Amino acid sequence: MDMKVKKKLALKEKFALMTRGLAWETSYEPMEAVYPQMAYEGLRIHNWDAWEDPFRMTMDAYWKYQAEKERKLYAIIDAFAQNNGHLGVTDARYINALKIFLSAVPMLEYNAHRGFARLGREMRGVGPQIACQMQAIDELRHAQTQIHSLSNYNRFYNGFHDWKHMSDRVWYLSVPKSFFEDACTCGPFEFIIAISFSFEYVLTNLVFMPFISGAAYNGDLGAMTFGFSAQSDEARHMTLGLEVIKFMLEQDPANLPIIQRWIDKWTWRGVRLLTIVAMLMDYMLPKRIMSWKEAWELYFEENGMALFNDLARYGIKLPDCTELIRKEKDHLSHQAWNAFYTAGMMTNFHTWIPTPEEMDWLASKYPDSFDQYYRPRFEHYRELEKAGKRFYNTSLPQLCQVCQIPMLFTEGDDPTQIAYRQVTHQGDKYHFCSDYCRDIFTHEPDKYVEAWLPAHQIFMGNCFNPGDDPSAAGFDPKKSVLDYWHIAFGRDNMDFEGSEDQKNFAAWRDQATRN
Amino acid sequence: MSFRLTIEPLGQEIEVAPGQTILDASLRAGIWLPHACCHGLCATCKVQLLDGEIDHGEASSFALMDFERDEGKLLACCARLESDATIEADIDHDEDARNIPVRDFVGTVARIEDLTPTIKGVFIDLDQAMDFQAGQYVNLEVAAPAGARRAFSIANAPADGRHIELNVRRVPGGQGTGWIHDQLRLGDRVRLAGPYGRFHVRRSAAAPMIFLAGGSGLSSPRSMILDLLAAGATEGITLVQGARSREELYYHQEFVALAAAHPNFRYVPALSDAAADADWTGFRGFVHEAAAAHFDSDFRGHQAYLCGPPVMIDACINALMQGRLFERDIYTEKFLSAADAQQARSPLFRRI
Repeated sequence: MDMKVKKKLALKEKFALMTRGLAWETSYEPMEAVYPQMAYEGLRIHNWDAWEDPFRMTMDAYWKYQAEKERKLYAIIDAFAQNNGHLGVTDARYINALKIFLSAVPMLEYNAHRGFARLGREMRGVGPQIACQMQAIDELRHAQTQIHSLSNYNRFYNGFHDWKHMSDRVWYLSVPKSFFEDACTCGPFEFIIAISFSFEYVLTNLVFMPFISGAAYNGDLGAMTFGFSAQSDEARHMTLGLEVIKFMLEQDPANLPIIQRWIDKWTWRGVRLLTIVAMLMDYMLPKRIMSWKEAWELYFEENGMALFNDLARYGIKLPDCTELIRKEKDHLSHQAWNAFYTAGMMTNFHTWIPTPEEMDWLASKYPDSFDQYYRPRFEHYRELEKAGKRFYNTSLPQLCQVCQIPMLFTEGDDPTQIAYRQVTHQGDKYHFCSDYCRDIFTHEPDKYVEAWLPAHQIFMGNCFNPGDDPSAAGFDPKKSVLDYWHIAFGRDNMDFEGSEDQKNFAAWRDQATRN
Repeated sequence: MSFRLTIEPLGQEIEVAPGQTILDASLRAGIWLPHACCHGLCATCKVQLLDGEIDHGEASSFALMDFERDEGKLLACCARLESDATIEADIDHDEDARNIPVRDFVGTVARIEDLTPTIKGVFIDLDQAMDFQAGQYVNLEVAAPAGARRAFSIANAPADGRHIELNVRRVPGGQGTGWIHDQLRLGDRVRLAGPYGRFHVRRSAAAPMIFLAGGSGLSSPRSMILDLLAAGATEGITLVQGARSREELYYHQEFVALAAAHPNFRYVPALSDAAADADWTGFRGFVHEAAAAHFDSDFRGHQAYLCGPPVMIDACINALMQGRLFERDIYTEKFLSAADAQQARSPLFRRI
């Protein structure tokens, strides 16, 4: 019998057969009806076949890789748990950074999973469909591994015992929650620009670097390992973000202004979301990697600019907001820590005043702002603490209607003046932290008037513990709200100094290192 | 001692120096492999080893897992050769590339001609014929600096391969080109190696072609166009040739004559500084401006080949993209080095 020896298929051909080769054009139902979300955002796609697969991984290979990653990761998580790895971190203050992470990030990953699962169904081209389906599973894996990794901590330390409940209710966690809900309620094309391009590509290093390198620097092997495991997926996510934007821009010149608006919006939304990361890097890591300002300069002003220079070939312009961001980089982390320190009664983590050495580090990293504007304030708070008059803000802040962050940011050119913007829409006044959040609102006011703002909801009586009667004598609204959030007053919140976490960590470490 | 590396599915063989990574050697040989972090963490550069021995270097155990090592996967940014080897990379097969092996040649300078005040035509008769694709280049040994080599695109069509024409612009202060301009004489024996490069016409695209050439960057486009016309190509061919002034515009009459003889060939010369050329009736401005004007800023459906100084290439890519021609249809004689991966540019574009 004659055997015809066929040349081995190249990776590209093999991938095409196992992905695009599985798609078909419908016969008895119009394609527009099968993919109903493709038209309403105004984006014009003429040829889905022009999609260049950003990576060529088939599903069978995908399962094999991910399974191996899981085996490696869980071996390390188990070893970490068995060896009481939590006692190896630099300082128990570090664990407060994990409380923020666990309250905010798994929910983000889970919402990313939902978003990409929807795109895996709605994208008309089979290339982007498969890429989105894989990313949907990645994001679910990230949420799961984060929860498992951090379960090594929340059994010992306070404040993240009910992280999922809190991530839906606690005031500051509405910032990340509303960010992703904004993205998930966009059309499919805006979602993928928002998450794959703006977030995964432009800003992802600024999220990963402080958490994962921060974990490594501070002796947290568990968090570091899930970080590496997740980062090996990010390469795929980032290349998807790049292909998405090239594909959309090349399909039709009319797509350019639509995409420019999305890039402007989501760059700003992402940067606002990173405010808490800035604070975490500068104030919450006992052993610091680099300052927020340095990270911003490296990852955005250098790497990000190289990208925008290349995108200029398509006619994409650098978002206007980058000028304000450049001015804010000297102030962001200090203003955020000031806000959380003074709101320390309403948080699920502990706060503190930086030590004199830490203040010197901040002054060296922020020579143009720290000593001038922030050190005097923190030293004043320290004097008050010493006098037994620790300052807590007892009122509720005004929130920005779009980013939902309290109005704590100052004008770009005047760090002594809080920035306020407002717009009247159908007779109601709405407040904004900046021109850019205001512009996002005025473009789609009907979307953002629906925002669920925690401070407003508390005033409207929607955030008291079920069963509490606000009209009863002696009703304590603050206690009732904390009960509703499942934050235990005096245990989960307020100062690190004197906290149960501090005492337990010291006692357990003592036991672990002495007879 | 260096090893030979064969890169599939291209079938191209390259030299890898001791201690040199596969990625570095490939990029320097003009072969683009997918890559991003360049230090073994992101796995973007993962390729399959088909044959040979390698050292994995500092590849991360998450980026390149044990079972993958067992299957012969490697990270090109970290792996070094320990024998001759063959890899298969996730790159597109180029059906128009002939993958001609590089060899050493000896020849005699048969003629030197002043093409412009700054460009000399050097005509070399080779002892043995060189097989090359129009658009490729050679490395010529120069006497100053001693032992150095300089890359020059071949300016004539392949035809019989015994005659090589190089157009050499004098680089201000440049030793190598200074030696060619001032010292090289008729009858001198020269040594060169080639053919190099993956800058060649993609006939398989069956699309009209645009050649954008600036200064002595005319060499490759001229070779390609002469080759195409000699082979009876019927696709539309447009050459936009840029020079500073009329005296720097060379082979002008030849292209005027070719345009008259071939209805599918259009010739668009452009002078960027024609103040002293009062009788110039052609385009005044830069190559990218001439191209945009000629095509009314609509390049859709074409294949573009760019050759010239970096600022010209960059301006032309911008003009082409604004006229809706994108990376997959734009070819330049640009060499990526490992330094390019160090974030001087973003990874948005692969080749341009």
